[in-house]
Parts: sequence; C-alpha cells; structure tokens
Amino acid sequence: MGSLTTARILIIGLAVVAAASFLPLGVSGYILGLLTIAYYFGVFAMAWDLLFGFAGEVNFGPTFLIGTGAYTAGILDNLYQPPIWLCIAAGALAAVAGGVVLALPALRVRGPYFGLTTLVAVLILQSFVVVDASLTGGEIGLTVPDVITVSDAKNYEIALWFMAVSGAILFSLSRSPVGLILQASGQDAVQAGALGFNVTKHKLAAFIISAFFSGLAGALLVFYFGSASVGTFVDITVGVQIIIAVVLGGRRTILGAVLGSVFIIAMSEALRPIGDLANFVVFAMALVVVLRFPGGFFGLLTRTKENG
Amino acid sequence: MLFWQILIDGFAISSLYALGATGFALIFGVSGVLNLSHGALMVTAVVAAWAAGNDLHAGPYAGAALGVAVGFAATLLTYFVIVSPLQRTRKIREEEKEIFILTATLLWGIMIQELIAYLYTNNAKTVAPIVQGVVSIVGVRTPSNEIFTAVVCWLVIGLLWLLVNRTRAGKAVLAASMNPRGVTLLGIELSQIYIAVWAIYGLLVGVAGVLLGMFLGVSSYSVGPLTASAFSIVVLGGLGSVSGALIAAYVVGYLETLTAYLISPAYRTIPALLLLVAVMYVRPRGLLGRR
Amino acid sequence: MTERAHLEVSGLTKRFGGLVAVKDMSLAVQSGKILGLIGPNGSGKSTVMKLIMGIERPDAGSVRINGTEVAGWPSHKIARMGAGIVFQHSRPLHRQTVLENITLALLPDKLTRLLADPAIDERARAIAARVGLSGVLDRRPGTLPFADLRKIEIAKAIARDPQVLLIDEPFAGLTTRETAAFSDLICELRDDGRAVLLVDHNVKSVARLVDRVLAMYVGERIAEGTADEVMHNETVRRVYLGGSIETAARPESSFRDAATPFLEVKDVSVHYGKAQALENVSIHVHAGEFVAVVGLNGAGKTTLFNTVSGLLPYAGEVRREGATLRGQTAATIARNGIVQCPEGRELFVDMTVRENLDLGGQHLPPAAGAEQIAWLFDLFPILRDRQSQAAGTLSGGEQQMLTIARALMMKPKLLILDEPTLGLAPVILEQLSKALERLRQTTAITVLLGEQNVTFALPHADRVYVLEHARIVWEGEPARFAADMGTGYL
Repeated sequence: MGSLTTARILIIGLAVVAAASFLPLGVSGYILGLLTIAYYFGVFAMAWDLLFGFAGEVNFGPTFLIGTGAYTAGILDNLYQPPIWLCIAAGALAAVAGGVVLALPALRVRGPYFGLTTLVAVLILQSFVVVDASLTGGEIGLTVPDVITVSDAKNYEIALWFMAVSGAILFSLSRSPVGLILQASGQDAVQAGALGFNVTKHKLAAFIISAFFSGLAGALLVFYFGSASVGTFVDITVGVQIIIAVVLGGRRTILGAVLGSVFIIAMSEALRPIGDLANFVVFAMALVVVLRFPGGFFGLLTRTKENG
Repeated sequence: MLFWQILIDGFAISSLYALGATGFALIFGVSGVLNLSHGALMVTAVVAAWAAGNDLHAGPYAGAALGVAVGFAATLLTYFVIVSPLQRTRKIREEEKEIFILTATLLWGIMIQELIAYLYTNNAKTVAPIVQGVVSIVGVRTPSNEIFTAVVCWLVIGLLWLLVNRTRAGKAVLAASMNPRGVTLLGIELSQIYIAVWAIYGLLVGVAGVLLGMFLGVSSYSVGPLTASAFSIVVLGGLGSVSGALIAAYVVGYLETLTAYLISPAYRTIPALLLLVAVMYVRPRGLLGRR
Repeated sequence: MTERAHLEVSGLTKRFGGLVAVKDMSLAVQSGKILGLIGPNGSGKSTVMKLIMGIERPDAGSVRINGTEVAGWPSHKIARMGAGIVFQHSRPLHRQTVLENITLALLPDKLTRLLADPAIDERARAIAARVGLSGVLDRRPGTLPFADLRKIEIAKAIARDPQVLLIDEPFAGLTTRETAAFSDLICELRDDGRAVLLVDHNVKSVARLVDRVLAMYVGERIAEGTADEVMHNETVRRVYLGGSIETAARPESSFRDAATPFLEVKDVSVHYGKAQALENVSIHVHAGEFVAVVGLNGAGKTTLFNTVSGLLPYAGEVRREGATLRGQTAATIARNGIVQCPEGRELFVDMTVRENLDLGGQHLPPAAGAEQIAWLFDLFPILRDRQSQAAGTLSGGEQQMLTIARALMMKPKLLILDEPTLGLAPVILEQLSKALERLRQTTAITVLLGEQNVTFALPHADRVYVLEHARIVWEGEPARFAADMGTGYL
C-alpha cells in the first residue's frame, strides 16, 4: 500500500518535472533565473524538512550548513582552481562535517537548547566569514573564477533536474522503512529505543543527509551566481525563509517544501514593486500561516486528522 | 590605564546586557517563552526615542519617555498577538508549541527589523543622551553617560528585586515561576500573572533599549545580535535563573570588552559565542540552571 | 528440571536527587510464568520496569536476561536482547497508520533498509489479525477507540517477540469484556514460553493471571508469594489499608442543608484522551460534613477532585449551594472557598514555609492573615519551628502539613484533601489524624477526603463513597463499610 502510492507519486512528479523542463522554450531568461533559484531553494527546504519533519530536530540555522558548503566550494575554487565538480564535492563534504558538529550537542540536549545552538552556529560562521576577509571576501563577498555555464536554459535544466533527483531521493527515504524509523525517533525517542532502534544513530544519519544536500545545493548555487556573500548564504533571514517555505508548503511532506519555495520566490518577485517592504509582507503572510494554519498548504489539502 | 578603561567600559556594557537579559530570563522563567523578537523590541524603543528627537524635536527626557512607552507597547503587543494565541491554540500539539513560539517570535522580530529598515533606513541611530559631559575616574576620561547607564540599570534591577521579593504581587510571580499549578490552587489567576510579567518585561526592554541608544546607538542590523546576546547570556547563566543571567551578563560583557580592546572591535562578539557553544557541549544546564 | 530464569533482578537501586525511588529490589521470573509487581503510586514499580528496560539507568544492582548482564545498557540494546515493554499509556505514532505502527516494531535496526519487505508486511497483518485490528489497519490512531490503542501496544509487543515481556497496568480503562480478551492474550504470550512481569496497583485485578505476586511500598519489596498469600499478608494490609477501623460518624440528617447540599456532583463524566476517567459519578457533600471518597490508585479520585476544582473539562453538573460552577476559572473557584490540597502537594519548594503560608493568605487583610497563621502554628506546631526553612527541605510529613496549612490560610468552606497520607510513616499519620480531628471538632469546615488508606479515612468520615474504575460502586456510613467491603477491598 505504502510503496504503491510512493511509486505513483514519483511518477506524477517525474511527469511534472518533465513538463517543466520544456519551459525554456517559451519563457524569458529572467523568469528562468528566478525558477533556477527557486529550485535550489527547494532543495534547501527539502533537506530541512527531512531533519525537522522526520528526525524532529528544529534547525534554526540551515544556512550554517549551506554556507559551509558554499564557501568551501568557493574558497577552494579561488585558491586552487580545481575542476568544478571537485569543489562542489568538497563543499558537500564540508557541510557534512558541519552537520556532524551540529549533531553532537543536539543529541545531548532537548528542544529549545538545540534550536538556539543552531542560531549561534550561523552567527559564529558569519563572524568568521566577515573577519577573515582575505580568504572569504568578508562582507563584500567572494567571486569565483568559474561558473558552470552562462546559458540561462542550461542552468535552469541543471537546477530542475538536481532538485528532481534530490527530491526523489529524499521523498523515497521519507517513505521507506528507514524513514519510518526516523519518524519514530523524532516523535517518541523513548518508544523507538524500547522497540530496539538506536535513535542516536538514526538522528545522526538524518543530520548527515540533510547537511549533504544542503551543502551540495549551496555549492552548486555558488557556481551559478559566480559569487558568494554572507547575505545570501550565511544569513539568519535566509534560514527563516527556508523554514517558512516548509511551513507554508506543509511540514513532513518533503514535496510541500518545493511548493513553498516556489511560492516564496514568486511572492517576493510579485511584491518587488513595493521595494524593501516585500520581505516584510512575505514574513507577515508566513506569520499568519504559523498562527492560523500550522498545517500549511498540504495540511489544508489533505486535512489529515491526527489528533485524538 | 587600559585596565581601568576596560574595567569601566566593561561594567557599563555589562550592566546594559544585564538589564536586557533579566527581562528575557524573567519571561522564560515564568511563562516558559524564549522571545526571539527581544532584539527587535529593544531596537523599536530606540528608534522611537530617536524619531521623537529627530522628527518631533522632543527633548532628551521626552524622547526617552516615548521610547520606553513604545517599547512597552510593542512588547505587550507581542504577547497578545503572537505568544498568547499560540499558547492557547488547540491546532498545535503541546510538544510542538515551544518550537512554534520560537519560530513565530523569530518571524515577528525579523518583520519588525524589515519594517524599521523600510521606514527609517538601516543606518545607525543614536539617541541624545540625557546626561552629557565627561568625567574623570581614576584618570580615565569617561563619558558621564556611561556612568548614568550603569546607575540606571542597577536602579531598575534593584527595583525589580524589591518588587519580586518584597511585595505580595511580586512573590506571586516568583511562585508562578516555581509552580504554576500551585498558584492557581491558591486562587491566583495565572493569566493575570502572565500579563503582569510581560508588562514588566516591556518596561525593562524599553529602558534597556533607550539606554543602549544613548550609549552606543543601534541600527536595524542590531536586532539579531541583540537577541543572540540576550539568549547567550540567559543560557550561560542557566535558563530560568535570573541571578545566573546577571552573572553571565558580566561574563559576556567583559569578554566582549576585553576582545574589543585587546584584539580588535571586529571580533568582539566571537568569544562569547564560542563560550556559549562550549557550555552547550559541556554543561547544557548553564551556571545556575534549573530547567 | 530447573529452568534458568529468563529475568533475574538483584539489588536494583535508583535515586532521583535525594529521593530513593527503588531500593535494593530483587525478583526473578521464569519462562512461562507471570509475576505480578504490585504497589500504590510512588511505590517505584514503574521505575523498576524502566530500569529493567534501560529507559533509566540503575545506580546499583544487576539485571540479567537469559543470564546476560544488561544493567546500564541503552534501551535499544536491551530490546534487541529480547526484552519488550508495553507502556501504561498507549504511545502510537500519531501520523502513521495502524499497519505502519505494527510494521515499525518488525523492522531491524538498520540504516540501509530502503525498500519495503513484503514478508514483513505479511507478518504485520497476521499480528494485527491476532489481536483483532484487521478492520482498522489503514486508520490513524487518533480516530480509534481506547481499546484499539491498547491492542496496538500489544501488537507491537508481539511483533518484537520478546522473551521477557514487561506490561504496565494492562487493564486500566478497559471494560470487563476487553479486560478478559487482554488477559487471554497475555496468557497466550506466557504459554509461548516467555517470562512476563505484570505491574499494577492492586492484586485483585491481576489475581487471575499471575503465578506469583511481589508487593512494593516506597521503593522496597514488602511481601512475595501467591496472590492469596500477598492479599492476606499483614504488612501489605497494614500499608494499604491500615489496621482496624473505628468510626465516629454524624448522621446525614444532622446537616441542615438537606435540600441543597453545599457541593453537588451530578452524573459527571471525564475523559483523558480516549480513556474514561470518570463515568456518571454523582456525590454530594453537606456543609460541615466530612465525606471520604475511598478507592485505590487509578480509581478516579484525583480526576474527581480536579473536576470540582475546575481544572478539567467534564460532562455533567457540579453545583455549589445550588449554583453551577461550570464556566468559572480554577482560581476563581479556589478564591471563593473550594480549596484543594493535591496529591502532588504543589508547594513552592524554593520558598520558606512562612512565604508559602503568606501566599495562601494573599487575599486576606494583613491582620486577619497574622491571626490565621497563629492558629495554624497552633494546629501544626512543627511548622512554627520550621518557618524560615525552604519548603523543599522539609520531610514528607511536614510538607503535607504545610500543604494543608497553606490551604487553610485561604479560609476555605470546602477543603479537598487528595491522598494526604501517601508515602508517610505511621507516626506522621497520627499527627495528621489528630489535626483533622481538631478541625472537625472546632470549626465548621467541610472536608472531602480522598484516600486509599481506609483506616486513616474512616474515623473522620460521616459518609463514605467507594470509587472503583471510574464509577461509584458503594455509598453509605463508615460502620457499614467495614462490614460490606472489608476483605474484598484489596
């Protein structure tokens, strides 16, 4: 029953992605650029949802992982100019290391303490990036000599299929037996332990997977922009936007995160005319959702009754 | 010479941190809420005081009063619009409420930050100090404003202590932080206690904010670091312990001052953050933590 | 042939701060046998289970499963060693279906399982059929009735196929028919050759099932033997029921508010989630009367009192002097004169005795407050001696006296006492008894007393109600109680 629906959803998803891959034929480069960013953002959000929705860990600083991946890739390229794929791989690995570092206190402390640790992690990374300006470009930012490609269409396709593959992996994971164990670890660690599951091991795995995809997407994004800065990669505001994307789309659905991301990017774009207030409005909308519709978009759609 | 300068400057900034952190600790101790819009509320108070001077041409006293009043109002607004509805709602499971409140207050704080940046730009603003001039202490030329800041902070903290430990209402608040159920059984409405505590917090935030504006100035960018330093201090001191927060405020304040003077002002926030991480790893309870 | 015991516990000890929850506990359960671990709230029996399962780490002692020492191991390793636990409160994963919940219990602890295994799916369905859940496999726990949730817990236990099975209060909240079905399941599991440790409040409910019983009190074992032996054991009866019973009841007709009793509880029902905590309970208390509500742990006394105090949602009517209390906040009800001393005491532990009392006298003008404190120090002299001490440093008995004194500071019309004698030594019970007697003689106060210690409660009571499994099963004068209920009580 479960796997049949999973396969069906994956096939529908594939169809949607295939359709989306034809967009470059009729859509302007500007919109393609927006969607490219939205897709990478979608991966950030899906990775966050895995950690939160399943392992039950609220990460207020996803940009710690993203920033680590992005800056590692960027700095490496600046210093030694190795092949791009090597920089990206290094970025992903650095993010994984960061995820392990973040996981260690998480597995020892409860709830709000962990959330605070993640916020602090972002601030520390920010401080180091700003202070070590010779290496990182400081507040101005880092430019990298290479980009993946300058073609809008190609960048779009790369982002789209990267998101599709990441999404397929993360979604399948969430529906698999391992995903079930993760959910148990997050919802009721005592029960999970009593059923014979090493909760620590599974939560660590969730951290590593989340970090991997976050870092990978971050590194790819650096080679899309051709630059990296604290404001785009290591910012608390960006982290909050990721959380909003997931909450808007529906927590614990993985796919909802993508919907939320596209919505946020589209909203920010649509509100561009009002200038700097755009962010304010998006956040206000998110606040209303948090206060009134905590189930998000997917929650409204499916209206699953969990409460007794 | 440098030693005295560090001692005095550090004392002033620590006192300011202590005042802000006390409010943060009080809210957590009594109602269990970690208010991540703390920095935003402080900045709101400062900007109001600044705007009073800039746009309304009010004198320093009037400006300060307005700042405190606006900070107070913004804090109560936060309670009634964001925190209280979330605490009462049935749409969210009890275990998840803490996280939702964290997220909502974080969002709210960022919203305020964006609004301030939009209305008043993100340039740094200072508020005209009530006390002007320079005074010489042990050979160090110190702005009288710094002394004023430290004095007012301790006055307010002292008043708070008196309120909590010597008045009936204050003791009820203290009791509520120990055992909310016990307080209800004695016929005291918890909802009234929460409002009272948030009101006190609002005053603390307003005063701390205005003093900060007079001392160092703020910009909309200060929102994050201010919240971060408040909860760093409160976590270091032990969540729920007001006396722990006071001690931790001085630890953090002096760490920052030492770093600024001895290494570089650019690095000032780093050691405190590292200390916080170390504490999280080694002793998550903090210095004097209860919960 | 001597069977090597599946589960052997010896010298098990656990401290929480200054409190010794379990002291030097030893027991053994052979395969194919059921041992009942009995004790009131606070006796440590649930802690023993958690220690065996690794959910808490013991401070001393040994736990052997099939000869292997597992004390101090994390719970998942102990589970994989062959131990399983059915918790007292159902804890399904709310976002998963029933089938998924059972499937979870069948999964190995591996990170690499990415594809669902049809064999596991089949086993899960078979187990569901065995416990009677086939019809609800695709439903979420939130939509299911209470008994089905308990079935999920048993299904999970069966799925784990443990050799040592720990079951915490299996029948709480179940109807007689459901209880019988569960008993049969447990017997089947035992007959498979497992060692079963059953934890419960009273011997009566598990007497049918168990081979032997071990009784606990305040963390220590006080008796062991067959169910019958333990029920008649001197120490057990004294601890649970007290000694012989004398009564001094005033007849109901002597109370003047016959038409409209001071407190009326009519057809009140309360649910905790799916479990029924009170079912159509009706009691009344006249002004000046002392009424005892007698019942074992889990019977519903605390729920009843919390309902009267306005702390719980309920169906039915609660009236004070004819006017309904519904809609009033708990604090208002307390301020108006219905004051409760809860089972957990709820003292302000970091404040002094004096400060606690002062808080109780919040609503009195200072002069009246001082007068009241003086009277209370006379009633409980030990509190005067300890008035500057922090409440948390007092002994159990002193804390109980402080709780009552603090409540009396509010000059209540109705004083509700929830299990005041729980965990207290006999000497303290005497003092409390004397204080209650003085209250009864010298004031017009009304008292509603909830107790499982019948010997303590009856001498003070004018009338008695017996609460069992959420229902009132008996009402009448104390003298008749001894005759009617006596032996069947434990």
